[in-house]
Amino acid sequence: MSGISNWIKSVFSPVKSTRCTPEELQIIFKSRYRHFRALLTANNNALEAMAEMEQVLQSGQIFSMAFIRSRSTAVMVNVYKMVKHLTEISEGRYHQLDPAFEKISTQVNDILEEAPRIHSGEWIIPLIKIKRIHVDQVGEKMANLGEVASLACMKTPPGFAITVSAASHFLSANNLGPEIGRLLQMLDTDNLAEVYRASAAIQQLISNSKLPADLEAKIYAAYAELEKETKVDVTVAMRSSALGEDNAGASFAGQYHTELNTHKEFIGQTYKEIVASKYTSRAILYRLQKGYLHKDIEMGVGCLAMVDAAVSGVLYTRDPANSASSWVLLNMTQGTAQRVVDGTCNTDLFLVSRQSPHMILQHKTAQNPNGTDSGLAFPDILTMKWAAKLTEMALILEDHFGSPQDIEWSIDRKGEIIILQSRPMSAAVAFGETDTSQNGSATEDESLLRGFPKRTPCIACEDGHCGFPQDNEWSIDEQGENAILEDNSLGDDGSEGGSDNSQKVVESEEQPLLRGLVTGSQGVACGPVFLVRSSVDMLQFPKGAVLVVEHPLPEWAPLLTKAIALIGETGSVAGHLATVSREFSIPALFGVANCLTKLSNGEIVTVDANNRLLYRGKREDLLAQGARKRDLMVGSPVQGLLRKLLQHITPLNLTDPASPYFKSSYCETLHDITRFCHEKAVVEMFRFGERNHFDQRAAKRLVGDVPLDWWVIDLADGFREGTDVTSKTICMEDIVSTPMKAIWEGIASFPWQGPPAVSVRGLGSILFQSTMQQGLEPAVASAMTVKNYFLISKNFCNLSVRLGYHFAMIEAYMSDLLTESYVTFTFKGGAADTTRKVGRITLLCEILSQFDFRLEQKGDSLTARVEKRPIEFLRQRLKILGYLSLHARQIDMVMNNPASVNHYRNKFLTEIKTMLS
Amino acid sequence: MKIEQKILIVDDESDFRIPLAKIFSRRGLAVDTADSCSQALAKMAAGPFDVIVMDVSMPELNGIHCLMLIKQEWPDSEIIILTGHASVDSGIEGMKGGAFDYCLKPIDTNELLEKIELACEKVRITRDEKI
Repeated sequence: MSGISNWIKSVFSPVKSTRCTPEELQIIFKSRYRHFRALLTANNNALEAMAEMEQVLQSGQIFSMAFIRSRSTAVMVNVYKMVKHLTEISEGRYHQLDPAFEKISTQVNDILEEAPRIHSGEWIIPLIKIKRIHVDQVGEKMANLGEVASLACMKTPPGFAITVSAASHFLSANNLGPEIGRLLQMLDTDNLAEVYRASAAIQQLISNSKLPADLEAKIYAAYAELEKETKVDVTVAMRSSALGEDNAGASFAGQYHTELNTHKEFIGQTYKEIVASKYTSRAILYRLQKGYLHKDIEMGVGCLAMVDAAVSGVLYTRDPANSASSWVLLNMTQGTAQRVVDGTCNTDLFLVSRQSPHMILQHKTAQNPNGTDSGLAFPDILTMKWAAKLTEMALILEDHFGSPQDIEWSIDRKGEIIILQSRPMSAAVAFGETDTSQNGSATEDESLLRGFPKRTPCIACEDGHCGFPQDNEWSIDEQGENAILEDNSLGDDGSEGGSDNSQKVVESEEQPLLRGLVTGSQGVACGPVFLVRSSVDMLQFPKGAVLVVEHPLPEWAPLLTKAIALIGETGSVAGHLATVSREFSIPALFGVANCLTKLSNGEIVTVDANNRLLYRGKREDLLAQGARKRDLMVGSPVQGLLRKLLQHITPLNLTDPASPYFKSSYCETLHDITRFCHEKAVVEMFRFGERNHFDQRAAKRLVGDVPLDWWVIDLADGFREGTDVTSKTICMEDIVSTPMKAIWEGIASFPWQGPPAVSVRGLGSILFQSTMQQGLEPAVASAMTVKNYFLISKNFCNLSVRLGYHFAMIEAYMSDLLTESYVTFTFKGGAADTTRKVGRITLLCEILSQFDFRLEQKGDSLTARVEKRPIEFLRQRLKILGYLSLHARQIDMVMNNPASVNHYRNKFLTEIKTMLS
Repeated sequence: MKIEQKILIVDDESDFRIPLAKIFSRRGLAVDTADSCSQALAKMAAGPFDVIVMDVSMPELNGIHCLMLIKQEWPDSEIIILTGHASVDSGIEGMKGGAFDYCLKPIDTNELLEKIELACEKVRITRDEKI
């Protein structure tokens, strides 16, 4: 008791030397809040970078050392910033964080320094030996194609990759670096003529340089092997496959050179030209625009035997506008590859069912410029056969790569399907960022009418002058000329003219019960629902259940060792719980509106986090898909390194702020540090009023029709503009602080009827306490102890309420940015004995738990908080706290009587509900 | 965005420095450039800049050293360092040396602009507080 007494004295002591003026308080507040915001931003950035690292590891997505380094830097710098900002906010209270950070960052750096050197590898790698793990040596396009080639059921053109190490060797052997650098340095990028001149000069320099004899010998040795595999003098397609093409959202699409039908004698020269195409004027300008350094981009080259194509095209395994589509989009066109490159061919578009037997659902024929059909002229039966086979293969690739694919293919004159490229559909395309909430998912008709979205040029025609659909290389077999495909195309008005099969397929698919907005962790799982709203529910959580929560708080982390999946009404991919879900490989789906009300305990559901859908019952098909997911980066040095690194970055050990181990010295990972800093920053922020003493004379008295004695201090923009700053009083009309106004609504909602009538025993208890605790003796208390203070800004409010023997503090910051918003409530003290005081706290807990507060009760003190919620939600909670801070005072004196407890419970709940209605 | 403060871009690579300066000028910033640490120090002495965007890997004197010299002499100026993929350490070193923030190369110009804006705000606040 002496603790609180001293604390109250310290806050309200009239000693003037320790008081702050309003101006000083404003500076302290602004500085503290600036650090708080910066800390939250750093927290988000660190968690996002962690999430990206975990996601690539979990999904088997392709990644390189550059990715690892950039994300590691992002995590470390942002965690460092958090430590520094917390130090500022807390005035150095958490100094143990510095050694903890140093220790972990040293561990991370040590691992990164072990990183394999990527440019010291071989110069030539045959396609059959290439896997995705070779991406840093051969570039992404060739790495993907090598992965396709390794699948038993797929055929790719035979060939080999000339690696980026070879390109480095070529350039350095000719000492080209300094001269290229000189030409680029002289460049005025605003002068296009100058850019063209420099580009031509550099390309000429490279193209005219001599290929080192050792490299030339290796290239031709590889070509000789290709001849053995195919035929003598086989012509080849030589294609760029540059590094860094997918960094920072830059596709580099169409920037570099590809040469088809290259004859043996021109291979060396063509190779040099492709390496030189790194410096085409468009590539130079593109890099500058995107902020890339020229030296960051290195060129790998693919050398593939030309396909004697009869038919070619492109296939999307999902409709770009509808990630849940039950069809694939298949594009076919007549003409040779060269005609396609020239942009002179036409294409037919098919929607093909993803379900076996992969029927053609719709067909739109290609049109000539004069409006006449120029579509496919071959038997429908053959088209259907190809479409079914292509779709089957495409779905195998989608399954293998674990994401929707954009596939280029040819059918040779023997009727064999050859895959030229398979790459993930871009994130925006693959995951349907189209706002379906407004527009709905695209229907088949819409897909057909729209045609394929504009896509980036393919590996086959990267010189970029052809956008989709001209970038398909294919030709038509002679045997197809006699019969015309049945025309299922849409009419000009877009009306459906297709087969009925399409509708059957769509309708036969079960509709999801709920949809989510965010995949926190990928995967598919099935199990019984278990709703968790409180720590009591937590204790009863059964193993193997689907954890359903409103808000994915870090406190639920221990349940993820038992849960099979996680569903949240809110949440983001960068949240703590999302990170832990990925750590445990548990599917996590967030942004599932009303899941707590729409789901009930024990109900069996299938969670498809990959597609952000939730189905009633068990969906074997989805579970099978989930089970087949494989990690294609397994065994690569970069994956091993990332896995090792993440051990020091993502595990979360500090989950419970109430635990004695929730200390800076127990931070084992960078994630622990972010969690600790975030928690303590909020605590420090809402101790602002407690830690910063102020000069009572700085306050303005709130006047008007107000009960009790209220005083207001403006920290920044809390008063209406034009308010008289010299006035000693203020009225509510002049207050523009949103949180203060909300609290005030609660205070003013019902008149306070004064303290309850106290029995003789109750009064005896108070007198006894007063005798024992001098600090609480009303006679000893200063005039300050009956004043209630608001410290405000437009979005911030700290209210200290002191009346009689109890103390309450409400603090809130309200922002459109959810991560910044919080409301906290501290309640302590009272005049009665401990039993009665605890009784009152228990009653308050009971009431607040019904309104989504997170509660911490220690003896007769209570801390309640809500965070990261919309402003209106927080306003409602502040009204409740305003109401309780007034009406719960002094009821501790009657808390030994069950009837009184019931009376107040009913009264509070009834009045709160009336107030909020 | 209205930024009145003066910005200095320090990078030895002209193919990065010059276009970046042009992009920022077009967005209304008062920008100058320096191709080395010594030139940056000379330009600072001639008329201090509020925000310096500086590559950490430069010949002669590296960016971290330069950063420390600038912070020592002009503590109210804010520095944003640019680091490459290969130098994870330099991000932390720069922050420890007093950098306001860092940007990873290849840079996202919008991200860098946002950071410049924040740095300018801090410069302004620091000045206001001193007044």
